[in-house]
Amino acid sequence: MIFENFGFYLKEALLSFRRNLLMYFASIMSITVIFIIVGIFLLISLNLNFLLEDLESQFEIVIYLKDDISTTELNNLKNDIASREGVREVTYISKEKAFQRLLKNFEEYKDIFEVIEGNPLPASLEVKTEDSSRIESIAKGIEKLKGIEDVEYNKGFLEKWFKITGFLHWGGIAISILLLVASVLIISNLTRITVYVRRNEIEIMSLMGATRWFIKWPFLIGGFLQGCIGAVIALATLYKIYFLVVDKVQQSIPFLPLITNRIELLPVGLIIVLVGCLIGFLGSMISVGRYILE
Amino acid sequence: MIRMFHVDKIYPNRIVALKDINVHIKKGEFVFLVGPTGAGKSTFLKLIYRGIIPTRGQVIIDGINISRLKPKYIPYLRRNIGIVFQDFKLLYDRTVYENIAFGLKAIGATNFEIRAQVKKVLNLVGLEHKKKAKPHLLSGGEQQKLCIARAIANEPMILLTDEPTGNLDPDTSWEIMQLLFHINIRGTTIVIASHDKLMVDQAKKRIIRLDRGHIIEDNPKGTY
Repeated sequence: MIFENFGFYLKEALLSFRRNLLMYFASIMSITVIFIIVGIFLLISLNLNFLLEDLESQFEIVIYLKDDISTTELNNLKNDIASREGVREVTYISKEKAFQRLLKNFEEYKDIFEVIEGNPLPASLEVKTEDSSRIESIAKGIEKLKGIEDVEYNKGFLEKWFKITGFLHWGGIAISILLLVASVLIISNLTRITVYVRRNEIEIMSLMGATRWFIKWPFLIGGFLQGCIGAVIALATLYKIYFLVVDKVQQSIPFLPLITNRIELLPVGLIIVLVGCLIGFLGSMISVGRYILE
Repeated sequence: MIRMFHVDKIYPNRIVALKDINVHIKKGEFVFLVGPTGAGKSTFLKLIYRGIIPTRGQVIIDGINISRLKPKYIPYLRRNIGIVFQDFKLLYDRTVYENIAFGLKAIGATNFEIRAQVKKVLNLVGLEHKKKAKPHLLSGGEQQKLCIARAIANEPMILLTDEPTGNLDPDTSWEIMQLLFHINIRGTTIVIASHDKLMVDQAKKRIIRLDRGHIIEDNPKGTY
């Protein structure tokens, strides 16, 4: 049915655009503004996730070894830890290497270190995990193994960290849902106005004996186009703004990790356009039914 | 063609628009529906094109009980009924030609059929020379003729008109009546809700008189 009369539906939809240019312009601009806001929010949340992942990848468990641990025991321990679930990488830091690091990191206190006799630092294993939320459980499992002096993993800091990231995560979801609901309501109301303006045509078609779908299609195509055009304009604007802001930020804070890979941003673009088309379509669907006489 | 059996229509605000209506309008008849404002004339017409459903009773159109018609079949019922509204319901941003073509397209006519049919009805109502004009440039009588042309474009079995001569001068009104007689002679059943005493008296056709929702007179050759 839609293919049979598609030309007519499209013509009617475009005719309606032409005849109500100002109204459609206002509607498309409103959709654009909504999607720019949603898009900005999405981009901030994506970058925040990216930043958190980058920071989390630096979290680790440090296992201080007893001085009398034998090479066999050390190898067994290393293998045991490396084979545990969730462990990504185990690096052995010998007593000498630890001391070298200390000297390198605190070069200005070189004089003090020269006074110290021998090497007081223990050898250690640095364990990186696949998922920072498992650090505590992995650390607890390791604590009781033989040849270990102490296990350190910044318990207090991790607890606070997960509280903050959890808050950001759920807060982000809540705000996204609110923005999306708001945009559906706004677009549905806008479509209602465009449908109201054309209520005469709907009534005439309905009384002449047009089927419900015959009446609906031009509006659905119109709604789809409004949503699509609004979303595409929003996307183009977002693209310009985003890379402008990223350039500025990277100039002032060069070490801040930001998403600059266009392929990684592609899903955001796709989501905005798809949601735009869908909301336009659904918005018209809800509104047009009201004026079809039964 | 049109039958009503014990039809009541009570609106949600409890206003009784029609009460125990029993009527039979045969194929090809010309019927005036008369009565004061609020007598139930418009409700009577709405029941025929299934703009509303009766609260009680049955409405049968061409053998089909439309009170029980499923919504998806309503469009097909309406394709057999032409409606001329008191307020015209024209599309003022489209030309005379487009107003008629729009309705035909809505019921699935091909472009070829539309061209032929629009030409035919415009000739019939005498508006062929104004096919490119927008309705607001037409006189009241011409707008009424356009409505009639649109209503008969798909050659319906029944033509319903609500106050077709309502705002017209006597000469134009008579011209419209002549047009309706002409359409009737071609076999279309016509039901007219009217206040126009002069027209009703001159026409000498069947009259169904409604008052406060009841049929108080059904006269095959009555006067207002």
